[in-house]
Amino acid sequence: MIARIAEHCFWLGRYLERAESTARVLQMTEQLSLDAELASEHCWTPVLAVFGERQAFAARHGVEAEADGEAVQGFMTWEESNLSSLVSILSQAREGARTIREVVSRECWEVTNELYLWLVGGAGQEEYAVSRFGFYQHIRRMVQLCLGLFRSTMLHDTPLDFIWLGVMLERVGQTARLLDVHHHVFSGMKPSHLVVETALWLSLLRASSGFEPFMKTHSGRVTGDAVAAFLLFDSRFPRSVHYCLDSAYRYLVRLCPPDVEGQPGRESLAFMLPLLAELRPQALARPDATVHALLTRMVEGTAELCSLISQEYFGRKPVIPDQTLGAQVMTG
Amino acid sequence: MGADGIARPDFQKLLNVLGARSPEDFSHMQTLAERALLNQGVTFSVYSDRRGTERIFPFCLIPRIISAPDWTHLERGLEQRIRALGLFLDDVYDGQRLFSERPELRDIILNTPLYLPRLRGVRPAGGVRIHIAGIDLIRDGQGTFRVLEDNLRTPSGVSYVMENRILSKRVVPEVLELARARRVDHYPARLAETLRAVSPESPDSSTVVVLTPGPYNSAYFEHSFLARTMGVPLVHGEDLFVEDDRVFLRTTRGPRRVHVIYRRIDDAFLDPEAFRPDSMLGVRGLLRAWAAGNVTLANAPGNGVADDKATYAFVPDFIRYYLGEEPILEQVPTYVCAREKDCQYVLEHLGELVVKTVDEAGGYGMLMGPQSTQAERDEFRQRILAQPRRYIAQPRVELSTCPTWDTASRQVVPRRVDLRPYILTGPQGPWVLPGGLSRVALRAGSYVVNSSQGGGSKDTWVQKEAV
Repeated sequence: MIARIAEHCFWLGRYLERAESTARVLQMTEQLSLDAELASEHCWTPVLAVFGERQAFAARHGVEAEADGEAVQGFMTWEESNLSSLVSILSQAREGARTIREVVSRECWEVTNELYLWLVGGAGQEEYAVSRFGFYQHIRRMVQLCLGLFRSTMLHDTPLDFIWLGVMLERVGQTARLLDVHHHVFSGMKPSHLVVETALWLSLLRASSGFEPFMKTHSGRVTGDAVAAFLLFDSRFPRSVHYCLDSAYRYLVRLCPPDVEGQPGRESLAFMLPLLAELRPQALARPDATVHALLTRMVEGTAELCSLISQEYFGRKPVIPDQTLGAQVMTG
Repeated sequence: MGADGIARPDFQKLLNVLGARSPEDFSHMQTLAERALLNQGVTFSVYSDRRGTERIFPFCLIPRIISAPDWTHLERGLEQRIRALGLFLDDVYDGQRLFSERPELRDIILNTPLYLPRLRGVRPAGGVRIHIAGIDLIRDGQGTFRVLEDNLRTPSGVSYVMENRILSKRVVPEVLELARARRVDHYPARLAETLRAVSPESPDSSTVVVLTPGPYNSAYFEHSFLARTMGVPLVHGEDLFVEDDRVFLRTTRGPRRVHVIYRRIDDAFLDPEAFRPDSMLGVRGLLRAWAAGNVTLANAPGNGVADDKATYAFVPDFIRYYLGEEPILEQVPTYVCAREKDCQYVLEHLGELVVKTVDEAGGYGMLMGPQSTQAERDEFRQRILAQPRRYIAQPRVELSTCPTWDTASRQVVPRRVDLRPYILTGPQGPWVLPGGLSRVALRAGSYVVNSSQGGGSKDTWVQKEAV
């Protein structure tokens, strides 16, 4: 397929996944903040950290505003200058879908377009004011609908492989950042109160759509280590780092079959193998190993992988990975 | 509608069916239709707008109906016109036989930037130059269809013809059935077939692409529509490159040869090597590849000389000269300011005529004499005196009207319409899509139907032959 279009497909997948994830995190944090047991800054500062936007937010609204849920939500939803805001992400997704309108199915395009028009056309603002939960829910549902429609209305061929490659790699980053930030914040909190701590781990699971799957595998026993291991290693949970990277690997194999000579993509594949090999529970068994160090390697490794994919498939020069999520946007 | 404002009898029955709906009903259907267009992104982009806003092309649910005999006449006339224009282009880019018989035409015709002398002697692969034409027609006060303009470069609008029909099927199916309208949805398949038939390779092993300037172009919806419905790639200039006078597509699996390009980029931007060096839209070396016969460009470069508004005046002569036939379709009497006598007449009658700039489209660069102010007439007088070749003038022709839904007053009112049928030409000759785009002036009294100037559109129903 055309290299430019492959790149648009990849980014369409990434932006849609990012929008769903952002809406989910904001929705869950809003719910969490309704329980008075947690100081407001403990709710909202991690959100900004997850999206790598603490600095940008402070520059615009001041550090104290980090405790102000409304300010954080407004920044992460409506501010166009914030490349991580929902309005920015969805406008990028919609513009991308429009550019490759002949590649995505009519159904997918219509859902993306309708969602964008809803967000910027007044109805979205109204819902935001009336029902915050409903607002985030609408975005999540429409994106999920679109991701489902990709599977059921498009040829299972190269364009779709690039879309899902984008979805999966974006998901690796989202889960890893979410786990990293929360692990850091929650573990450092004191005094450690069992009920509060459990509530926090549960909210993290909800923020990654993992509450019910986790409960099914752990029969209701919630500990920080178990949650971390679940989000990192569980090969059956579709948002675990392992599942997403493994799935991305399989899309890359489809794009570059091992038995066909002279296809681009060999470097990306070779780069992934050691990364995947690290993703097993034994990786945390060593006394000096930490969740944070492993997650950092995954976030950085994924960024490097995306850069390799850009070079091998889209004809782009290597990009320097940036810690700010908003800076990870399609260029050119 | 007839001159008396009453619908022609053949259509009265259909209007009665439509008329049985209440205004509330109709208003509701109209809103639904427009929302569907917006959500589906059936829009055109507005250039002037910084954020690249897209608008829908306003759509009126009341169709425009053309009877079978009227259509047969139009169809024959359009085919004849396209054949003559094709022969004229072959001649003007080769032997120029015409000018040995009509030397006075040489300067008028060749003196336009739309004529590309460097392409002289090139025979395009497949032998066709006007693969896709859009001919603008109007109907005068007597009910006679007249050709207003030939569009032989990159005529747009055909996607709205098909989208409008989809809406009609959804919203007024019983009326559509009663009208026995001929179908239009096979156009993309016919277009793909036409394009493959003129490939330098065998049709089955040819790669066809649509070349677009990109998502900020006002007609991007159409470009993507055509690529999607033909099932061929939609490409940007940066996706293509030329090597050894052959055109290739950059793909994730390496270069892939391209044989036919339906290009929706103007000549001037097609190839920075041959034309505008600042163009970011085109493909370096494309013209060489075309001249070498390794790729087909649809439409062929250089066609502009045949749809120039001054050349238009002589198309009936071309039909007689190249085909030895009398023109079937009427056109609008035209004064070509490049001719001294015509120019003098135009300057003396500015208040009665419509003056047009030959190289502007979309309703720009016009003087509507009867509605003009003294200052506007003076300005045009100066412009014409300075560059007579750039201007033509025509008497204002009354445009026929069509019953049209007025959203504001929620009633049916007569509004002026024109018609753009689309003609595809392959090696076997021309084929006319039944119907075409009916554009409608949405304001009372207005003659302006262009989308860029606030016009709307209607579905056009060509009736099948009486059974």
